[in-house]
Amino acid sequence: MLIQESRTYKLAKAALLVVLLAVTPVSGVLQAQTRPLPTAQKQEEDPLSILFKAAEKTFEEKKYKEALTLFDELEAKAGDVELKLKAVLTFRKALCQFFIKDWPRAQEELTTFLDKYPKGTEDFFDNDNRRGTGELLLIETFSKQGKWELALARLEKIRTNTLARPEERVNAFTLSAQIIVDRAKSSPDDVKRAAFAQAITLLKQATSDGIATPERREAAYKLVEMYTKLGLTKEASQLKNEIDAKSNGSPVEVVRSNFQRLEIGDARFAAAESAADENFRADFYRQALTNYQGTLRRVNLSSSFGRAIESKQTELETMTKSFPKPNPEQAANLEKVKQEIAQFKKIQEEFNANKDYDAFISYRIGLCLLELKRNWEAHVAFLDIFENSPGFSRISGAYYYHVLALRRIGRNTEAQTKCKDFIQKFPQDEQVSSIALILGDISQEREEFPEAIAHYKWVQANVKTLTPEIAEEIDFRIAACLFSQVDWALAQKAFEVFLKKYERSPVRQQVLYMNALCSFFQGKYKETKVDFDKYEQEYPKGQFIPDVRYRQAIVKFGISPPDIAGTIKLCEDWLKDFAKDRTDEVIAQTPEVYTLIGDANIRLADEIDKKVKAADLDVRVNAKTPDKAKFVEIRTKFEKEKEAVTNKAIDAYEAAAKSARTNPQALEFVLSELRKLLPGRGEHKRMRDLFKEIFDWNHNDPKAMTYLYEVIRSTERMGDMVEFAAEAEKVRKAASAKLADARKKVDELERKKGVTRPEIDTAKEAVKLLSAELEAELAKVEARRQVSIADQKKRALKILSDAVSESINDRTQEGTEKLIVFLAEKLARKVKRVKPGAKPEPGAYTTADAEKELTKLLRLEDHRDSLVAQARGFFALGQLANLTREPDKLSANFAKIAANFKAEELNPTILALVGDNLLAKGDNKKAAEYFAYILEHSRSSEYADYGFAGLAEIAFTQKKYADALSLCNEAIDNNILMSKELDLRFTRARALAELSKYPEAKKEFEEIAKTKEWRGEKTAASLYWLGLMAERQATDEKGYNEAIAYYRRCYMTWKKYEVWAAKSYFGAAKLFANKLNQKDAAKVLLKEMGDKERIKDTREAQEAKAFLLGL
Amino acid sequence: MRRTFLLPALALLAAASSSAQTFVFKAERWEINDPFKLDNSIPPKPVTDAKKGTINLAKGTVDRTTNQGGIEATVNRKLTDVTEVIWPMPARLREAQANVSRGEPAKALDNVEAVLKFFEPIKNIPGSWWVKASIVKLDALDRLENDAATAAFLDNFEKEEAAKLPEVATQIQLARLMQRARKGDHEAVAKEATELLTKIEGAELQARLHIVKGNSLLAIKKYEAAMTTYLRVPVFFGSETELIPKALLGAARSFRGMDSPALRDQRLETVSNRYLYDIIVSYPVSKEAEEAKKMLPKEERAKAEADQKKVAAGGPLPEGVIMAKPKLADEEKVEGNK
Repeated sequence: MLIQESRTYKLAKAALLVVLLAVTPVSGVLQAQTRPLPTAQKQEEDPLSILFKAAEKTFEEKKYKEALTLFDELEAKAGDVELKLKAVLTFRKALCQFFIKDWPRAQEELTTFLDKYPKGTEDFFDNDNRRGTGELLLIETFSKQGKWELALARLEKIRTNTLARPEERVNAFTLSAQIIVDRAKSSPDDVKRAAFAQAITLLKQATSDGIATPERREAAYKLVEMYTKLGLTKEASQLKNEIDAKSNGSPVEVVRSNFQRLEIGDARFAAAESAADENFRADFYRQALTNYQGTLRRVNLSSSFGRAIESKQTELETMTKSFPKPNPEQAANLEKVKQEIAQFKKIQEEFNANKDYDAFISYRIGLCLLELKRNWEAHVAFLDIFENSPGFSRISGAYYYHVLALRRIGRNTEAQTKCKDFIQKFPQDEQVSSIALILGDISQEREEFPEAIAHYKWVQANVKTLTPEIAEEIDFRIAACLFSQVDWALAQKAFEVFLKKYERSPVRQQVLYMNALCSFFQGKYKETKVDFDKYEQEYPKGQFIPDVRYRQAIVKFGISPPDIAGTIKLCEDWLKDFAKDRTDEVIAQTPEVYTLIGDANIRLADEIDKKVKAADLDVRVNAKTPDKAKFVEIRTKFEKEKEAVTNKAIDAYEAAAKSARTNPQALEFVLSELRKLLPGRGEHKRMRDLFKEIFDWNHNDPKAMTYLYEVIRSTERMGDMVEFAAEAEKVRKAASAKLADARKKVDELERKKGVTRPEIDTAKEAVKLLSAELEAELAKVEARRQVSIADQKKRALKILSDAVSESINDRTQEGTEKLIVFLAEKLARKVKRVKPGAKPEPGAYTTADAEKELTKLLRLEDHRDSLVAQARGFFALGQLANLTREPDKLSANFAKIAANFKAEELNPTILALVGDNLLAKGDNKKAAEYFAYILEHSRSSEYADYGFAGLAEIAFTQKKYADALSLCNEAIDNNILMSKELDLRFTRARALAELSKYPEAKKEFEEIAKTKEWRGEKTAASLYWLGLMAERQATDEKGYNEAIAYYRRCYMTWKKYEVWAAKSYFGAAKLFANKLNQKDAAKVLLKEMGDKERIKDTREAQEAKAFLLGL
Repeated sequence: MRRTFLLPALALLAAASSSAQTFVFKAERWEINDPFKLDNSIPPKPVTDAKKGTINLAKGTVDRTTNQGGIEATVNRKLTDVTEVIWPMPARLREAQANVSRGEPAKALDNVEAVLKFFEPIKNIPGSWWVKASIVKLDALDRLENDAATAAFLDNFEKEEAAKLPEVATQIQLARLMQRARKGDHEAVAKEATELLTKIEGAELQARLHIVKGNSLLAIKKYEAAMTTYLRVPVFFGSETELIPKALLGAARSFRGMDSPALRDQRLETVSNRYLYDIIVSYPVSKEAEEAKKMLPKEERAKAEADQKKVAAGGPLPEGVIMAKPKLADEEKVEGNK
């Protein structure tokens, strides 16, 4: 992509190089012609002099053909002039031929000049006799004619001539290098590379003594170019920096340096694109980026142009002032400067016309950043194009890569907006189909299938230049979306059309499979079988074969009546065949296959259960017949059968669960089945072991906590073993026969005549004794059961303790706090609560015991060096105190956290809860520190709203109402309202009120007051505030009455919130007395207020008493 | 023509290659003793070469002892006659710049005042470092956040001839903007900065202005806009290494501001921490690195510090870190003091 774009750059560069040529004179001879022929000076009327001047003027005007004719004429007429003058004419003629590009004649003339005039033009122009220039021009002429060897031979002579002027030698080196490269222009790559290497050697020699002169700097520029072409960017960059450092800051150098930097950037980018090694690639992109970043922007370049023009204009002005009446030479010079200005302006205009310059730089920077995975920066780079160069010629590319950057930073909505924007603005652009595809793809990825389908259909309807591949992909995507939105019939239709339309599609296998699935999900099992058979036939080793075979088993299970045996057989075959296949798909499908086996066995068990029930009925019907035993036997047989298949089902479900690590859906399903089956069968240990295994897969899994709860619950239940119930039953059974006999005996004795009372009493005593014995036996069993339960509860706590201990040192594990609360809850339940002040029963489990146990279970001793573990210890004790309703202890423990831990040592949960407690206790400073830390570090945590609400409350209490409002607005506008919405809205309303933004405040308070879910203290407070605001705005009786109405609603409805009720009473009374002149009404109200038990001790009540006395 | 065109450049190049401090008078050039070059004596004294001119600020002259035919004579020239100054960047000015970027404004002021005092009599002469020193002083005052002192300095600076130079005028405008930002006039500052950005040229000024704008946007909680403004500095002005840590720090703060439960998937806290990490690893001796260390959660801070040590010891750059290529030092540029 970059290579294509380089063409646009090249246009700009070509334009700028013209500037370089214009401001860097091609040869030094042009200046000297201002000096007229000495003879001409003395004899102004000399026709030769006039002719020379005319020739020179024509030459200056770049009319080389005419000038040549004049010089020829002059040469013919000036037969016996000095040798140096003849040399001048020959030199001028050579120049004319050179500029006319008549290379053979130029060669001839220059050769004559060099051969015939060993002293050249002598001192005619200046101290330079032009032989050096002549040599270089001749070499140039050779090279223009492809006479490389002749050119190089001449250059070598100059290079090796120690008497030649140093700068001429430098130029010779530079030109040699250029010729060597030009000579290899159309040669194979290896020859070209060799030429570059040779050129580099020559240029290094040219720059060996530094780059302090323009000639040497020119050589250095060439060397940079060669390095860049050979991919030696490091060397190129180093030399470039050296040149920049030595630069005289002229606009020309600035421009030249800029484009060289760009070229180096391009070379690095190209190297990065083709680099095989990832590490090198990143380095190359970094280097490219650095070069692109170092290039000047349009405004700077324009300024360089501006400065160049300005300096020329100053020169022109000075000349105009100095020569008010210019002679022909001066006039010619003036004209020349004017032409140069015009030329600069033209080039500047051309540059200005190229609107893409800045955008291309941003574009390249964006690409480098994308490659360097700096997606946010890439987003900013592309954004720059949209903001500043919306007409960029490669805007479609910019859209594409910007969308890519947006997707990478997780901004899919923005990416979609961008896609839509593009489609709307550039419906005819060739990129529109790709962008529309991306748009659909994002919707598809976000499971917004109807939207995705709409986007795809839009592409089909509107893009006329779709390639067959894209058209096919869109058809497939539409069908896939219909499939994903479980629109089976439509999806199937789409797949069928697709299969007909694209018989050789690369996705045919997938379509066949999905088509079969459509039948499957519609419950069309016959069709499913046919479709799957077709798939298996076409793709016997296809990628979906495991799933197809599994579905075939489901089909067997789904038909009516189900083929259970067939289902189980297919599943078992599946397990056997794919046992060694460790592909992700097979691994994920294994639990599903096991689950199907489980389901099939459960279905079998259900069938057998019907038989059990029927047999049971038979047993009951034949209870008093001799057939009873037979039916009992049948029932027992069925029961055993049922038990066997149920066991198989449980085994299969268990196997499914254990193999479902990568298939969360299957895991969830199978665990829910096992939760139904295992506890009912008393298989708590099996349950515990299974959940423990799953919990241990990954303790940081979001579901890990649920698994752990199950482990704890099962462990606790393990204590209440079935054996205890059986034993109790056995004891009861054994005792019940004896008891029945003993009771029967009592009955008989009581009915029997002549039995004495003592005899009956003795019999009754025996019954009592037996009952007592039974009770004692049962108590023993119960005691053992309780011991067992306590034992298991202890084990459960140990497991919980292990889990907490594992992460207690890790501040970032937010789940730890949940475990701690869970642990605290377990212990709090054990505490036997007593009334405040009362002593607990001796031996009772007290809060102190719970605290000790909690500390022990958290293993704080083992984590002495961990700050967060110690803080969590206090947090746990605080939570325990909260659960045992001991607010002072809660505050004391939280205060210890506040006193001993910095915010950065805690996590959001502790910061939020402790901060809230501190705020309630008035420690605003520490609370602010904690809340600020939440805002700084945990804005996305579920406790972020504590930070906003807390800081807003603190700002409000400090009367920084604007700050409070800003915090509340930020939280509300960004929907950071998990637990503190009411607090935030209430503070916002109060801040608005204090800032005299009454209408907005009123709206907010009314919203709070009318929201049922928020009924409570804030409702009372809102009514009071509504009254207060009405009072503040009131100017007449009506206004005061409105305020009183709100106050009344508050104290009438919300007496239990004494503070607000008291404020409302007092507020209303003051209005009656001071504004409405109803002192009696005020007195009545104040007396009523004073009589209220809850209110009389409030601060307002005290103030009201004093107020009443004054009435 | 060619000669005339190249002569100034050649002269400058010659000047650049010469390490000596030189004053150019109308018809002669005097090498001058560098008052900032001190010997090893205690207390150190300026190194003086009798053949070179010595500045006498009290008299406003440059004095030199000549020896002709064994007779020593003191000749002097008025400082007002100096037409050009050829002087490499004074070490104390360089140190002052470093002080500013290290967050040591008081030390910077101490260093820069000496330079200002020395160049004061020749402040408007081409090649004088007075303007540059004034700008460094402005930076130092800005870092000190002493609005009264900054305002007083700016009022005087604006009266100087140098203040008419477009670049200096922009610096002054920038400083005024920063003052207003400190006073909390953020809405207006952000707006004016946007307008000013379209008018100024230099990469450094552009980068600075982006930071001022970003700061104001951040203060008024326009986090997204602040983030894109700050990030323009590393994206487009990557060689302004002094300003990049400031921009990265601002961006990190903006990302934190943007963060919310609804954007949890974008992991903005992690993105923010990544920028703080970059500052610590790539710009370890900046004031911003210290700030970044405070902002990073301690676990990540430890990692960043460890990685920084590895990079400092020549280890490879961690993935995604873009170590900005330092721009050419000003003293390397001949036009630096023009």
